[in-house]
Amino acid sequence: MNSNLIRILHTGLNVTQESLQPDATLADLGFDSLALVELSMLLKEQAQIDISDTDLHQAGTLGAINGLVEQKLAEQ
Amino acid sequence: MRRPEPHRPSSAVVCGIGAALPPRTVSNTDLAAELGTDDAWIRTRTGITHRHIAGTDATTEDLATRAAAHALESAGTRQAGALILATATPDHQLPATAPAVAARLGLTAIPAFDIAAACTGFLYALATAAGFIAGGTADMVLVIGADRISHLLDPGDRTTRPIFGDGAGAVLLRRGSPGEPGALGPLMLGSDGTHHDLLKAPHGGHLRMDGPALFRHAVDRMRSASQDAAHAAGWRTDDIDRLVPHQANARITNAVADRLGIPPEGRLQNIQHVGNTSAASIPLLLAQACADRRITAGHRLLLTAFGAGLTWGATTLTWPDLTTSQPPTSPAPENP
Repeated sequence: MNSNLIRILHTGLNVTQESLQPDATLADLGFDSLALVELSMLLKEQAQIDISDTDLHQAGTLGAINGLVEQKLAEQ
Repeated sequence: MRRPEPHRPSSAVVCGIGAALPPRTVSNTDLAAELGTDDAWIRTRTGITHRHIAGTDATTEDLATRAAAHALESAGTRQAGALILATATPDHQLPATAPAVAARLGLTAIPAFDIAAACTGFLYALATAAGFIAGGTADMVLVIGADRISHLLDPGDRTTRPIFGDGAGAVLLRRGSPGEPGALGPLMLGSDGTHHDLLKAPHGGHLRMDGPALFRHAVDRMRSASQDAAHAAGWRTDDIDRLVPHQANARITNAVADRLGIPPEGRLQNIQHVGNTSAASIPLLLAQACADRRITAGHRLLLTAFGAGLTWGATTLTWPDLTTSQPPTSPAPENP
């Protein structure tokens, strides 16, 4: 998984290392709508990766969110 | 009315502080059954466990009068040359609530009016009061933030009903010198009406809000306003001893403080016990933090707010040596 994503989830959103599994759902991570906004803001501010909270919500799992991150990085 | 002496710069200086809360508290458990949720759901999403609700016990005028009376008592005076009430929930569409508050304080000939800038209203009122002092309109100005947002809430809306509480806070400002303890720093204010639909209560209707969109705007605007206010005052952000943010949501406070580099012990919060009290939020927090000595004389404070409009603002303040009067739940003066 992308190292910036892991760092932001762990240090910015207090997700435990054990929870950082590709098949973890947003509910597994304890994420509500505000947490997705926080993740979207932190990705933009700390890794210059622009993904809306709506797209993060639609991704549904950590693995799919990682896929969006990798896709954005490939486009840059 | 006394005019300022020419060529002597003056500042608005905080010289009294007070607050008032309605006596009735409502816990998350009280709300849980009605909203189909539980204490943990509300607490983890908002940081709130209780809020004070006015019901029919207290009007905005009542809450504002009690807070202002405490602020006057804290300053050791019964006089003020003007009264400005920041509120989004005046008791009537017409007239403003401020003149009635002034009258109950025995101040029947002073300028008194309301300001509507939602949760940023108190900072807008401080700026207006500072202008009154600088311009010679008044030497002492009561600035009150008071709201009863509970009256605007949809009882079945779990995105808004757990968040808001009722209350009031007030400061007394006097003419003083720039740089002395209590002197307000430069006030940074802004608005952006293109997003007015994100938090709105139409005439006769319930308050609705888009929480996720507001979160992003609130964090961005409070961070930038705070940085601008600190810079304008000649402070670095690590000069700030206490961040005094509008209590919208504990997660917004932490997101703003993280971005400003303010450690957890420097983040003042009371949202757990009072919820979001709109325009009352900052002066209520100041009064409680002064009473329990989370802020003491010499602390360098950064005040910042964000609210419907959208509106936002920030300013700096080195806390003066103040005594607080009665606890904020004591009764209102009926015949001062």
